[in-house]
Amino acid sequence: MDEREIRLRTSRRRLFLKTAIGTGIGLSLVSAFYVGASLRPKAEVTPEKEPLKPGDLLVYAQGGGEPKPIRLEDLKPGNPFVLAYPMDPKTKVVKSGEAKNTVLVARYAPEELAPEVAQHAVEGVVAYSAVCTHLGCIVSQWVAEKKAALCPCHGGTFDLAQGAKVVAGPPPRSIPQLPLKVEGGVLVAAGEFLGDVGVKADRGHCRTV
Amino acid sequence: MYKWLDERLDLSGLYHKVLRKAFPVHHSFFLGEITLFAFVVLVLTGIFLTLNYEPSIREVKLPDGRTVPAAYASVLYIDSLPFGAVIRSLHHWSAHVMIAAAFLHMLRILLSGAYKKPRELNYLVGLGLLGLAVVTAFTGYALPYDNYAVTATRIGYGIATSIPWIGGALADVMFGGEFPGSAKSIPRLFSLHVLWLPLLLMGLIGLHLAIMVKQKHTQPRYAERVAPGKILGVPMYPQQMVMMVILFALYVGIMAIIAGAFLAHPIEAFGPPTPQTPAVKPDWYFLWLYGLLQIIPSTWEFHLFGATIGPEFIGGAVVPGILAIVGLLLPFVDTRKDKMRYMELPSEHPVRTSVILALLVFFLMSSLAGYKIDFQQQGSILGNNAVLWTLVLGGPLVTYLVSYTLLRIFYGKKPEREAL
Repeated sequence: MDEREIRLRTSRRRLFLKTAIGTGIGLSLVSAFYVGASLRPKAEVTPEKEPLKPGDLLVYAQGGGEPKPIRLEDLKPGNPFVLAYPMDPKTKVVKSGEAKNTVLVARYAPEELAPEVAQHAVEGVVAYSAVCTHLGCIVSQWVAEKKAALCPCHGGTFDLAQGAKVVAGPPPRSIPQLPLKVEGGVLVAAGEFLGDVGVKADRGHCRTV
Repeated sequence: MYKWLDERLDLSGLYHKVLRKAFPVHHSFFLGEITLFAFVVLVLTGIFLTLNYEPSIREVKLPDGRTVPAAYASVLYIDSLPFGAVIRSLHHWSAHVMIAAAFLHMLRILLSGAYKKPRELNYLVGLGLLGLAVVTAFTGYALPYDNYAVTATRIGYGIATSIPWIGGALADVMFGGEFPGSAKSIPRLFSLHVLWLPLLLMGLIGLHLAIMVKQKHTQPRYAERVAPGKILGVPMYPQQMVMMVILFALYVGIMAIIAGAFLAHPIEAFGPPTPQTPAVKPDWYFLWLYGLLQIIPSTWEFHLFGATIGPEFIGGAVVPGILAIVGLLLPFVDTRKDKMRYMELPSEHPVRTSVILALLVFFLMSSLAGYKIDFQQQGSILGNNAVLWTLVLGGPLVTYLVSYTLLRIFYGKKPEREAL
């Protein structure tokens, strides 16, 4: 190292330049993070994306056209379950915009149900969240011989008569039950889901939406 | 004309310096080129697709009266264009070929020990390219927005959110909010798929090739006998260039026939998204992960520093993560002192060769586990979790032992050049 280099290294001019560059980089990083935070969009809640509320009517999820409420006498014990969305009783908006609102409804003979399941059921009809707790697919297949619900994605199987206990496959938890009541022959949600719906995401320190 | 240009641009200098560069020849060296050709075809067909695709899930009315997401409708429109369905299929199948060729290219590198000094860096770039290619393929999966694509992408979203601590944020950034549901998902995935990831791929491919040219290609063993200490190969121009053009033409021709005969991802048959989950099977390069997800029981869950580590994280992220870390560390564990010029023979490295074969059997067996539901429905013994676990763990072990023993018996007599 020659003399000039040594002088430069200790000079105030170089220190000033280094500080200036460092501050510039630092500030740009901070602002980049500030801008980058917008990469996580805020969830927009439209009427179709409102969460399920007690008092919502259950309507058939399949098929387009007019929303068709599920009537108690449509369901027979032993038949495959049906998929449903909640519908706001006042505005008649079907809340199908949010996958976590998908509900499955099945009917058993009342004596088949476990007691803790029966207390939220009505005349053998039970309802559960249809969102698989494994990776969020919709539990949509009926296994007739087991009288159970199967998620076709990875084979998670839930025994709906026993509180949706996981009887096969990888789901970590049961799908939560939805308390039911009947008003005018039509199925109505009597409360909120009795547990967390869907995949348990690690939200960490994020903002709540 | 040539003279005029040469006087100004010194073309002959370029010719002697770059285009006369010797390229070693071996049939396995074409795997990387095929990967590149698949990428070129993906970009070209992708340009056509972007020009006609609408990245949105707003509801539109089809002529037949159905209301479907705009993305789905625009892919129906692409299929209705002259050769539209063929070009979309060509794009789809080329993605498969790119990943397959890149994987085989990596196997060649692993089997011949070409990751060793001085090529550690380029090996890492190559691993990054393979990972990036898979991620790019995945971001394209949701774009047609049919029932099948939405279900498959939903599983990916589930895996992303299951990552402890950062999963929620990561999934939100990659999927633009909750998938399915967020109206920003498709625009976000579209932007990643057609702009940012391809740009990154192009940059890394350029780096990969530049490092390869600078460091010179590994040579087949016979080059050591024929011309020791020299690069034995054909010049870049014209010989190598002619071979590449022929290979590219062959690639496009064969893939066009395949794309014409086999329509990829028939979205009309899958229909727009409904709550009915179709029986999805992922593409073959995810099938092994899919199989692992099916055989890991729900009881494998524990809590760590406030985060839940569940079976979906273990199957979907921990196992591939471990493989990736082992891959990244390999060139720094299995080293040599001198610079490598000639490919190593797999038979001279029984441990390495056997581990690679065992890994392949692991992939095959876990892919087999991906058919667990189908086996169960047929009442096959393979539907049993214990049987599948035995295959997934025992298969690779047996393969390793058999391969190692055979290599030792048949090639063990020769003096070992190195321990591994």
